[in-house]
Amino acid sequence: RMVPSPLAEHAILLASTFLFPPVAFVVVIVILLATLGKSLGLRERYVATLIYIFEWGAGQIKTTAKLKRKESLMPLDVPIIDSDEEEEEEEEEVDEDENERRTARSDGYESSSGLSRRRRNSANSVSSRASSVCSLRRRHGSGNNIIMRDTQLILDDEDDLPIETMHVNSRGWAVIGDSVDFIKNGIEAIIEDEVTSRFEAEQLMTWNMLTRTSTRFFQFVNWKLTVLYMAGFVFRYAFLLPMRITLFVIGLVFMLVSTAVVGIFPDGALKKTLNHKAMLTCHRILSRSISAVVYFHDEQYKASNCGIAVANHTSPMDVMVLSTDNVYALIGQSHGGLLGLMQRALSRASSHIWFERSEAKDRLAVSNKLKDHVSDPEKLPILIFPEGTCINNTSVMMFKKGSFEIGSTIYPIAMKYDSRFGDPFWNSSEQSWGEYILRMMTSWAIICHVWYLPPMTKLENEDAVDFANRVKKVIAARGGLVDLEWDGMLKRCKVPPKMVAKQQEKYANRLSRYTSTCEHLTRTPGSAPTLNDEAEDDEGIAASPTISGYNSLEELPEDVAITDEEDNVPPVPRSRSRPVSRVVEAPN
Amino acid sequence: MGNNSSLMLRDEEIDVISKETEFNRNQIVRLYSRFLSLDKKAQGFLEREDLLNVPELAVNPLGDRIVDAFFTLAGDEIDNEKRLNFRQFVRVLAFFQPVDRSKKNSLNGRRDKLKFAFIMYDLNKNGYITREEFKVILNSMVGANITTDQLDKIADRTIEEADVDHDGRISFEEFCKAMEKTDIEEKMSIRFLN
Repeated sequence: RMVPSPLAEHAILLASTFLFPPVAFVVVIVILLATLGKSLGLRERYVATLIYIFEWGAGQIKTTAKLKRKESLMPLDVPIIDSDEEEEEEEEEVDEDENERRTARSDGYESSSGLSRRRRNSANSVSSRASSVCSLRRRHGSGNNIIMRDTQLILDDEDDLPIETMHVNSRGWAVIGDSVDFIKNGIEAIIEDEVTSRFEAEQLMTWNMLTRTSTRFFQFVNWKLTVLYMAGFVFRYAFLLPMRITLFVIGLVFMLVSTAVVGIFPDGALKKTLNHKAMLTCHRILSRSISAVVYFHDEQYKASNCGIAVANHTSPMDVMVLSTDNVYALIGQSHGGLLGLMQRALSRASSHIWFERSEAKDRLAVSNKLKDHVSDPEKLPILIFPEGTCINNTSVMMFKKGSFEIGSTIYPIAMKYDSRFGDPFWNSSEQSWGEYILRMMTSWAIICHVWYLPPMTKLENEDAVDFANRVKKVIAARGGLVDLEWDGMLKRCKVPPKMVAKQQEKYANRLSRYTSTCEHLTRTPGSAPTLNDEAEDDEGIAASPTISGYNSLEELPEDVAITDEEDNVPPVPRSRSRPVSRVVEAPN
Repeated sequence: MGNNSSLMLRDEEIDVISKETEFNRNQIVRLYSRFLSLDKKAQGFLEREDLLNVPELAVNPLGDRIVDAFFTLAGDEIDNEKRLNFRQFVRVLAFFQPVDRSKKNSLNGRRDKLKFAFIMYDLNKNGYITREEFKVILNSMVGANITTDQLDKIADRTIEEADVDHDGRISFEEFCKAMEKTDIEEKMSIRFLN
């Protein structure tokens, strides 16, 4: 057993005595402010100071790097001029990743030429205040571009290409030629693809004095930065962390107590008002426990009554962040433990929808519960995250259509976190809940911009999937995120065979349009293309037995919805993915 | 303060790879970062699974075949599992560099690019593409949308047209000849950024 020496013990006790009053004082003030819904503007000032420090740090790194470059001899390198310039871009776009806690070791050194845009932005964003929204919105890349992609697999539905025949010398060799395109696409995907980068932490531009983000920097760091880093470390772990934990506990207790009190009242207007106040207060306290600085825009579009609010999903904190401004009903899987306790507490004060895991697979039941809730005007708007999983906040992935089928008004919300001060993204397959919380509480701050968007409803002639895509597009545009067609569930599971089958169908279409000098091809309307040889009987594809045994795409088994346990999201049915692919040559 | 175990690529290694493959230093480092992000289990090498984890590759009808060719060209086989270390990874990618006619480059000439495609078709790696092998590839590309008969016909004609020595199968030379008119240099070049 380790017993601290008497001197050390003495020192620790003294330190904690001195620290205690400030911490207690701060805690009391914070709670008071949270209850009143006001803010001293301290957090904003804190954030501005941090930016100033980071900027200075970035400058330091640049100077050190330059010095190092000059010192080292690299005869095999590209001419010095180019590499220096590259270096400059590098330092300004350095990134960090969790070192000890994650396996996302996707740091390379360098940035790409495509980042000259970001360089301007980095200058912008570093010198302006945290509340400068425009530059934040432009930062949605997730890394270094290695290649300029020429081919793409297009996933969204598009009209079939006009029926035209292409004359080729031989169909077989045309196929081989096409296969080369597929090869190119495959290799390009291996080098760089849109999806895998979305499940890693966003790469930052300047070092933010956290060890977790320091991998690329440590060789460029000089003593001044080290001192600064040490100071920051002490500040975060010795001051911020205890304060935040205390706040968190208080917030939790407040939630339990207030919901119990509100639960006594009979359902009615009074209960609703009390619930409103209680929820706002407790979420504000909780949000201060991670030093969340949230900016809300366009508050006139806030969801007020019975509707569904949808937002893009980045972290478990999303619910809390959004709840500091408006009160929502939640929907999700019921958990045990602490989370279960909170869920039960919330349910006492207003109605939420919690599912058992087994129920989650039953789409109809989910859908019905949603419908019931939404049609009751007394109930609060439901908050749903249609992506179904956490994405790293640089893009928006496929929305599941379940919530868009109900037919009620949708209130879209776009959320964009500024990860310079702490990255809220949680990859549940790489980090446990505890690690994640600790990381959150030892970050500088969590900064988020929330945009409320005008409500949308499904149009007559569009189906749920199209509606979902429309909403997704709007959210992505507002938040400055990349709009992707890929399914967020790909984080955990493999690509479903349906998607591959669709690809094949597309290619078969193309193949049918080839006419070689001795063969003819026809296409019967309404069915899959027919390959018809002159010397052969006409065998429609639909009529003849096919190789794989399925007569059509529709017969492929539907995938079962996989629920996301960690996220508090509704296990809405997985949409029938209808991606269509085609290997195309991008216009140069 | 920060730990450098993740930067496992040493300068000398970068130099060696650079000489071998004509990639410059920046590109190699970026490719290394990509290698690391594909190597989710942090084993230091890639397996088939790792490459097929890329959704865009998994959706590609020839995804499987491409991964296979990748490993055949450069991987080692250990315990019946194919593995690819970083150097091998870059070597294969070097095949896809644009052809620079001025340089005497052994890694990315026309024949080398065709080699990749040939290996992809030649399933049993005996140096010849047979009718059956071609059918497998064609089947991967169109899936359920074609009948066995039609598949056979196309395959037969394809082999016939290119089979110069009439041995019923296509050798690498015959393959190159048949692809003469195709602009392989363009089709199989990837634009690497500097």
